[in-house]
Amino acid sequence: MGLADALRGKTVERRGRTAKPPPDGSRPLPGWRRYWPMYTAVSPFFLLFAVFGVFPVGFSIYLSFMSWDGIGETRPIGWENYAYLVTDSDFWQSIGNTLVIWILSTVPMVFLALVIAYALHTTVRFKAFYRVAYFVPNVTSIVAMTLVLGSVFSDSSGLLNSALRAISAGEVGWLSDPWAMKVSVAAITIWRWVGYNAIICLAGLQAISSDVFEAAKVDGADNRQTFFRITIPMLRPVILFVAVTSTIGGLQLFTEPQVLFPVDDNGNVGGPGGEATTIVLYLYQQAFVFNRFGYGAAVGWALFLLIAVFSVINWRLIGGRDEDAIGTGKRKGKSRAR
Amino acid sequence: MAVSRRRFLALGAGSAAGGFGPAGCGSQRSLGDPDEITLWTWDRSVSDELVARAETKGIPGAQGFKLSRTNIGGHFNTKVRTALAGKSLVPDIIGINSDVATYFPNQDMFVDLNAFGAAELKSRYLDWKWSECITPEGRMIAFPMDTGPTGLFYRADLLQEAGITTDPKELAARAPDWDGFIALGKELRRSQERAVICPNIRHVWSIRLGQLGSKFMTEDGRYIGDRDELREAFELAYRIGREGLSAGAPEGSPDLYGVITSGRQPVGIGAVWWGLAFPESAAPKTGGKWRVADPPGGSGNVGGSFLAITKYSKNPEAAYKFITWLQSPENQVKAFTEMSLFPSSPHSFTRPEMRESRPFYGGQRTIEVFGPSARQVRTVNKSPYDRVMDPVFAAELANVESGKNVDTAWRDAQNTIERELIREGAI
Repeated sequence: MGLADALRGKTVERRGRTAKPPPDGSRPLPGWRRYWPMYTAVSPFFLLFAVFGVFPVGFSIYLSFMSWDGIGETRPIGWENYAYLVTDSDFWQSIGNTLVIWILSTVPMVFLALVIAYALHTTVRFKAFYRVAYFVPNVTSIVAMTLVLGSVFSDSSGLLNSALRAISAGEVGWLSDPWAMKVSVAAITIWRWVGYNAIICLAGLQAISSDVFEAAKVDGADNRQTFFRITIPMLRPVILFVAVTSTIGGLQLFTEPQVLFPVDDNGNVGGPGGEATTIVLYLYQQAFVFNRFGYGAAVGWALFLLIAVFSVINWRLIGGRDEDAIGTGKRKGKSRAR
Repeated sequence: MAVSRRRFLALGAGSAAGGFGPAGCGSQRSLGDPDEITLWTWDRSVSDELVARAETKGIPGAQGFKLSRTNIGGHFNTKVRTALAGKSLVPDIIGINSDVATYFPNQDMFVDLNAFGAAELKSRYLDWKWSECITPEGRMIAFPMDTGPTGLFYRADLLQEAGITTDPKELAARAPDWDGFIALGKELRRSQERAVICPNIRHVWSIRLGQLGSKFMTEDGRYIGDRDELREAFELAYRIGREGLSAGAPEGSPDLYGVITSGRQPVGIGAVWWGLAFPESAAPKTGGKWRVADPPGGSGNVGGSFLAITKYSKNPEAAYKFITWLQSPENQVKAFTEMSLFPSSPHSFTRPEMRESRPFYGGQRTIEVFGPSARQVRTVNKSPYDRVMDPVFAAELANVESGKNVDTAWRDAQNTIERELIREGAI
């Protein structure tokens, strides 16, 4: 029983008290005494949520107006953290890096996921094997894999550059060139999430009636035409879902650049020039490497704002067309009114 | 007896409440039992054998007290700060890395060791190391552990191929300063076209900085990080990069090991622990081929650590007894033979265990290089704001290595630092 039911029970009970007394003549218990077992039953989640969810969120608002090194007294400094944030070139660089890495990873990934899903959908043999194989990267340890891929991308002793040298294509500074660094991070992100998104697209594909495909075949469409003219348009809602989740994940990218470009002795993150510093990595550096917890909290709220903006954009995209709306027309009307 | 569901739930709730009780009430400020002195360290920071002895047989000189050590692992600083901010279940003693000055603004979190007559022990330890434990207000909040005096490591076999002397004394005479070191690097190219003398140019900067008599701030808090001496060090790093004598390996990347394993970097200036962290662990096959000599440009220190007693300690006197016992000259020798932690007490340098010849270094007595090097390190004023400035210079040098103009980089570094120091309220 949820909290809502318990609350509803309370109002019913209150009404009952005034309207008609219980048949046995005893006075009914007040609401909380009658329903405490239900409250107790649902409390563990709310207690944990209060301690590890609500409190930290509230405290980070408080912290973002403070100067605090993590040990000593907090010192209120008003809007100073936010004022510094706006003029902090490292912060803006981290936003730029995050967006570039996000585009470099999301665009190829969504396309690849679709192609893989289409391939999986049309495979005849070893269906289950391929599905598991593509999903496995998503359940491996991201830290371990980034470490391994780190030695693949490594500039002078890496596998990738050895291969490039072998075909006389020259070296690429995968871990030192500003663009190549972002490509490296994006490549790891793609590797990890493409299978997951392919499975989601596959589920969407299977929901498309086979009649449409058969009709296309009868009309003489080839594979390419079927893919671009039928599969992609029919999958629009699924593609948007994938894009939305990738956006939220992409803006919070942390592990890959943190492991690929470890914090050095001086406390610098994100590799040479900080070219792979994402927003969350920057937050981590400010709060946990430089002990600027107040400023870290302010960065966190800036990120919140950014995600909120992107979510609104996404929501407008989804809500923009009737055929893509997930809910009914009635629900949509409601949300428009808001 | 079968446990009914109701009874099971009651038991569960009871034990949960019991478990939360002592931890949650917040009345216990110091971690551990009343007769336990608790110690938080990271891996390989103290002698495991000595600690085990204090854990089982008690702390020598502190009747009735035992030690309890926990290696709290990664993110050490964050965990320590969390415990101190929580003001409950704080360990008696914590390890502090070479960034001890970071704790100076919060010096009242720690016990002033002068209260126990620490000054009497001063003559046992290296002067520069001792002075790093003392805050500008004169409180001694930390006690010396190990140090990292620098030396010039080199592959004797590769130097021979290039026709360069392999005798430590002769080599040191040949490269007494950085210009000599650069010339040495160029000679190495005779037998190996791509030879380098450093992993990246930031490394040059940090080694050179460690050789100077002052860092970024004076004792009275004036910024001196824009002086000519530092500008020259900055340009020295750039020059070594321009000569092609830097491998350009990003910090923390596997390439740092790669250049050692492949022999591309046959020489390198590093702290005493560098030998263990790089050639000995990454290139064990090169054992016996390495030697050490006096470092070009003078000796310096990189790394090293401290122990501090928190103000929440249940018995600071017993904690002090433990620290002074663990870091006595004899026991520092033990820590060296067991864990390769280089002593901060020069009294230990003359001990036979320290003077043993080292097979990895072709039977050389490396103490003959690192001992004098440790004594020659200059006393430098460290500031709590160093942690703000160090990354700025390092980041700009990384930019220089990827092609940024060195003058622009220096100017940008100065501007960033000015901005950061104003923000921290330091200037």
